[in-house]
Amino acid sequence: MSGPIGKPTPYIDGVDKVTGQAMYTDDFRFPNMLYVGLVRSPHAHARIKHIDLSAAGKDPGVAAIAVGTEIPISFGILPISPDENAMAVEKVRYVGEIVAAVAAETVEAAQKGAEKIIVEYEPIREFIDPEDSLEICGKDEQIHSHTKEGKNIHKTAELRFNEPEKALEKSPFKRTESFKFAGVTHAFTEPHATIAIWNGDETLTVISATQVPHYLHRNLSKVLELPMHRIQVKKPALGGGFGGKSDPFAHEMITAYLSMKTKRPVKCTFTREEVFITNHGRHPTTMDMSVGCDNDGIITALDTDVIIDGGAYGSFGVVTSYYNGVLLQGPYKIDKLGFRTRRTYTNKPQCGAMRGHGAVNPRYAVEVILDMLAHDIGIDPCDLRMKNFLSENTLTVGQLRITSNGVRECLETVREKSDWNNRYGKLPYGRGLGVACGFFISGSALPIIWNRYPQTVVHAKLDFDGRIVMFSGASDIGQGSDTILVQIAAEELGIPMDFVQVEVADTKTTPVDLGSYSSRVTFMVGNAAKMATERIRNEMAKAIAKEKSVSAKDILFRDKKIFTKDGTLDIAWEDGVEIAMAGRGAFVESGYYISPKLGGDFKGSGAGLSPAYSFGAFISEVAVNPDTGEVNVEKIWAAHDCGKALNPLAVEGQIEGSIHMGLGQAVSEDMRFVQGQIMNANFFDYRIPYSVDTPEMDVSIIESNDGEGPYGAKEAGEGPIHPVLPSIGNAIHDAVGIRMMELPITPDKILNKVREKN
Amino acid sequence: MEKVQLNINGFTRIVLVDPHETILDTLRNRLFLTGTKKCCDEGTCGSCTMLIDSKPVLGCLTPTVRCVGKEIVTIEGISSGDDLHPVQKHLVKNGGMQCGFCTPGVVMTAIPYLEENPNPSVNDIKEGLSGNLCRCTGYKKIIEAVKDAAEELNT
Amino acid sequence: MSYYFKPATITEALSLASDYSNNYVYFGGGTDLQIYRKQKLIKDEAIIDLSGLTDTYRIQADGNALRLGAFVTLDDITSAPEIQKLFPLLAEAAASVATPVIRKTATIGGNLLVNNRCTFYNQSKEWRDAVGSCMREVGATCLVTGGKDKCFSRNVSDTAPALITLNATVTVQTQKGEDEIPLKEIYAPDGIKYHQHMDDAILTAIRVPEKPVDWWFKKLRLRKTLDFTSLTVAAAIDTAGMARVCLNGVSMSPILIEKPIADLTLEGLTRSARKNCKTVDNDLMPLKYRREMINVYLNEWWQTVKDK
Ligand SMILES: Cc1cc2nc3c(=O)[nH]c(=O)nc-3n(C[C@H](O)[C@H](O)[C@H](O)COP(=O)(O)OP(=O)(O)OC[C@H]3O[C@@H](n4cnc5c(N)ncnc54)[C@H](O)[C@@H]3O)c2cc1C
Ligand code: SF4
Ligand code: FES
Ligand code: FES
Repeated sequence: MSGPIGKPTPYIDGVDKVTGQAMYTDDFRFPNMLYVGLVRSPHAHARIKHIDLSAAGKDPGVAAIAVGTEIPISFGILPISPDENAMAVEKVRYVGEIVAAVAAETVEAAQKGAEKIIVEYEPIREFIDPEDSLEICGKDEQIHSHTKEGKNIHKTAELRFNEPEKALEKSPFKRTESFKFAGVTHAFTEPHATIAIWNGDETLTVISATQVPHYLHRNLSKVLELPMHRIQVKKPALGGGFGGKSDPFAHEMITAYLSMKTKRPVKCTFTREEVFITNHGRHPTTMDMSVGCDNDGIITALDTDVIIDGGAYGSFGVVTSYYNGVLLQGPYKIDKLGFRTRRTYTNKPQCGAMRGHGAVNPRYAVEVILDMLAHDIGIDPCDLRMKNFLSENTLTVGQLRITSNGVRECLETVREKSDWNNRYGKLPYGRGLGVACGFFISGSALPIIWNRYPQTVVHAKLDFDGRIVMFSGASDIGQGSDTILVQIAAEELGIPMDFVQVEVADTKTTPVDLGSYSSRVTFMVGNAAKMATERIRNEMAKAIAKEKSVSAKDILFRDKKIFTKDGTLDIAWEDGVEIAMAGRGAFVESGYYISPKLGGDFKGSGAGLSPAYSFGAFISEVAVNPDTGEVNVEKIWAAHDCGKALNPLAVEGQIEGSIHMGLGQAVSEDMRFVQGQIMNANFFDYRIPYSVDTPEMDVSIIESNDGEGPYGAKEAGEGPIHPVLPSIGNAIHDAVGIRMMELPITPDKILNKVREKN
Repeated sequence: MEKVQLNINGFTRIVLVDPHETILDTLRNRLFLTGTKKCCDEGTCGSCTMLIDSKPVLGCLTPTVRCVGKEIVTIEGISSGDDLHPVQKHLVKNGGMQCGFCTPGVVMTAIPYLEENPNPSVNDIKEGLSGNLCRCTGYKKIIEAVKDAAEELNT
Repeated sequence: MSYYFKPATITEALSLASDYSNNYVYFGGGTDLQIYRKQKLIKDEAIIDLSGLTDTYRIQADGNALRLGAFVTLDDITSAPEIQKLFPLLAEAAASVATPVIRKTATIGGNLLVNNRCTFYNQSKEWRDAVGSCMREVGATCLVTGGKDKCFSRNVSDTAPALITLNATVTVQTQKGEDEIPLKEIYAPDGIKYHQHMDDAILTAIRVPEKPVDWWFKKLRLRKTLDFTSLTVAAAIDTAGMARVCLNGVSMSPILIEKPIADLTLEGLTRSARKNCKTVDNDLMPLKYRREMINVYLNEWWQTVKDK
């Protein structure tokens, strides 16, 4: 590649970010702007008996008040489970649920106004423990009236292939283990924020910290009963998402509604505590898993039963339920596979999608069990994995289509770099190595809302000044997708990156992209951007060929020059632009991406389908203090197959960030509850690793060059989190001989096990 | 409300503030200097770091009235676009930022840190930045950037 | 209405305090207070900013003794060569507090007087209202123990145990005049009123009489930065052979065990620590584990002295 593709490329918005010039949602202000104050429920489950607005209504600072019954249309990210309301209607389902809102002249006036709203509640039985939600309860105790059998089960997802239970019975080696995972949350640094502006032409502009402008657009339209063509959603600079900004949110509906009501700009910014309360993080999970092996260490079958604690609303929960099972189909070949996931409703903030969606916890379980089986059989855990990997270009039992697959090379790389063969099992007591692998989708092949549109469209515009502007709905949330758009255009047209600019994530000016979730952006938007700029190039070549009497297919674009190899043509980019635009002016070409048709035709076959899958293998080295139970993750060797690193700087960044986030879930982060209320809704007590807690990292990018990814690329944003946690768990076993079945692995748990063992 | 005179990035501003108000809120809400970020508002993340009389402080814990008579330097006062400070330059170059929300705070911590510790080791830098929460990068590239900046400043 | 004052003299500060009687707060670095204010745990009208008291900023080493002004920052303490040399225990304790940037604002006076913490109390107003506020605030019971007569909030100062084992004294000023009292005496085993002899008083200086012959310090926390302590143990042996071991973070006040090293046994030490620490389940680390760690830490210290 002659252009910037494949070269470490600093972000195009880097300078804005280091100078404080980048504008995040809360940094905007508009004339005559109002601020939102929210009234939140102090009860986990209660009927709303009465809302007294009289005192707040008289407050001179308050411009408008809203309650749930005014905008009662339900919404949600998945069209199959729109179970949320902008504000509670009839009843509240978790502590912190929004019940009413005010718009006021200042932030303080909004808070004061909200405090004057008096709500009377009648408490209902609370369901905090998911086990309770599995039982039949009174009709009026049900969290949602639509759940079946009088229970609070939101979704049961189950698939079984080739009778795994029978194969397990016959397996010479078998492990059945129970695991427990605490809930964790994204904890992105920029708190949720939204600004809504009701324009004079009766249109609504919403500026929001969202990963999914398109789905927000749709849901705003539904809830506000405003046609989509009168709504514009814009995503400015965004301070991290990790899945936590990938739902349409209640506060977005409320802010927009208050703007319509007052005909003034309205802003809503959350406090850190409100961000925690909003959650949508990884589901607290309990999991029983059985895996069998034959005498050679070949996996015979896997069966698992999972309960995920969904909290009060659906969010991505149906997808999460499936992902807990279907994403066990790689990186190992498992032909007899079964799972059942039950997602319960409980009276807690809802859980949803978080980096590595649905697959992080089952990945921990399976990798730990494989480690145990390797010990049972007496073979090296790396060798056992090597024997079981899926090959390239194959189908899994559930008909996931595997294309490129670099998992062997990943494992060989970290094994070599960590000097595994000489060190595993041989380090002094208290120090250990652990290995684990991973597997993840590069975008879901099926869109959330089924329709005949492509999953993404990119427009590339060439103008007289020689500049290319890329119009894309893609949401750069820090992963660097804007930079990739520029790199691709520069690559395809042989121009410097400064000739390319982006216009992104604005539903008025940019074509639809479904959003930044499920690791789809580089793969899908990359393909579309490539197509759009290829088409620009072809258009230019056609015009130049005609004018200069050369064959269009001989024309090359490189180093800001347009030429043929034989030298008959050699003109500057600008001259080519002039020729191409003669008689037509600036023009736009469009590219798109639609996933190929994939998958089987059984119910649930759509879950986990992706045009390509990423793979990885990590090895962790830990030091455990057996007297205190403290664990120090000292080094992680990471190898991730992202197909092709379009921007190695960004790929490394994603892997390093995944290590950090995985480490947090492994050893210190958990959402604690007391009486249904989060008790560590701050960074003192929700313990994210800081610089001094983060290990040394040795990152290897493995390039398997996928046939369908743009330039061979697959994903790198989520897959790298999966191996982190189990490699740490397995390293703790190597260090002190104990198996940690409960996350986070805090010192008290280690100490208990060490003492039990000794 | 109290009328105060503040010296911000070398320029005098007169504002009416509440005696309990923090300098972070004054800058962001009253003066529209939004480069300094509010992430936790309780001292735990370092996003709001700025310099007061050359010393790094957390804007979310500092009452505005306390800054009267002192020199306040915010991220906006460090550079303007082209003449980036080496810390900023290397953060961009090394990919030491992703979403960028923690970045102004990182810059405002690293600059005075390097003034006090011109030859830090990687572990020293980790320690020096141990109050800055970054959820995106895993810190590695931030630390490498600060190390490179130290080297550039020393030549 | 709220007011901000920055008195230039102690007399002025004390008289402002009496003007606003129960409605003021002395502001050191403010890094502890600001959190309390944001959580609406204090609602004072007047901030009396003590940073204008210019004679409270000095570090003076005199032979083997040390005098610290109350406004010396924790960062100054960790970086002062004389403290690193004579009292590394204090330097290490100060370095274990909060984060590097906070330590540049946080004062030693403020750290000694840091407010007691409890997981059920250090929460937002909305949180406390939803759960039902405890007796330290306006409620009738303790949410940890269910009891009605005692609050077990934890003293979390990391420098207090270090300075107590160094036998430090503090200078306090009230309208009645100046007084010097042993540091350990300003702490009371009461989760609601955990400081004594400090009503309206301003802490102006800390004095450490002599360099210890041996010292030890350890702070239990999940992360290597930022975390408040789950257990801090400091130990020092003075020239007369007196051993002082002080535990904090596990009771309403620092727990001091003082005994000639010759008479000390590990069993005796552990027994007396366990007896005196009123540790309840009000920290994020589990109670059982924190209790166990008391033994583990004391044992660890004991192994280091035993070997000498
Ligand atoms: C993120 C974060 C982490 C923290 N981690 C820790 C930690 O690990 N360990 C720890 O101990 N603390 C910690 N703290 C709390 C606090 O930062 C420190 O205790 C700090 O040392 C307090 O000093 P200060 O000068 O800021 O005190 P201030 O907040 O100013 O005051 C604390 C108390 O002392 C009183 N006071 C202060 N100075 C005087 C004086 N001279 N005379 C009389 N009364 C006075 C005040 O009225 C107040 O009640 C943390 C705070 C934050 C924000
Ligand atoms: S120990 Fe009990 S009374 Fe004291 S602060 Fe905690 S909950 Fe309240
Ligand atoms: S916003 Fe000030 S430290 Fe987080
Ligand atoms: S770059 Fe996103 S938080 Fe640091």
